[in-house]
Amino acid sequence: MATSTYLSNPGVEVNSVSLTDQCTSCTVTSTIESLESTAFGSTSRVYTSGLANNEITMDLYMSYAATETYATLAALVGTTTTVNVSNTVAGLATPSATEPRFELVGCYLETLPVISASMGELSTISITFTGGVLTTATS
Amino acid sequence: MKYTITSAKVGIVGTEFVPPAGVNIEALLTHGFIKVETPSDSPAPKPAKTKEPAKKD
Repeated sequence: MATSTYLSNPGVEVNSVSLTDQCTSCTVTSTIESLESTAFGSTSRVYTSGLANNEITMDLYMSYAATETYATLAALVGTTTTVNVSNTVAGLATPSATEPRFELVGCYLETLPVISASMGELSTISITFTGGVLTTATS
Repeated sequence: MKYTITSAKVGIVGTEFVPPAGVNIEALLTHGFIKVETPSDSPAPKPAKTKEPAKKD
């Protein structure tokens, strides 16, 4: 039985710019690649840890207004940056054990959909930051 | 180099921006989120000249 509820309402910062008010979905994934180390004599496969390969994906409303989505992301394509995500907006500035801030430093933005338009819908884009060093701040 | 915040999306406008690790400064400058704080070209103001009061014998 769930002992606490978590209503998704995270805070999101890309390159120090708050995009919380444009973001509708965000996933931070910590991955350590597995390397097979099974050898003769083994009766089952064995793995050891390899390189970290972290990723942050997010869905954003597209806005071409000054200092909004497009202005924040346009100059980041093909470069590395820092992305911060916390389960609350307060956690971005003052992280704690219950409001951790996940920081992906040196992550790479490969692609940016510069226009994604459909009739009768708000324009949204999905972007992915890959690589970088993921740390968790709790104080 | 000192930077000043010019967009509320980054922080309190007018305060100093200290770039965290990994942040792309050029991108922030290009789109006007921050600006470089340039020192004034004019020389520092000279102290006001004050005449010493004439000594009375």
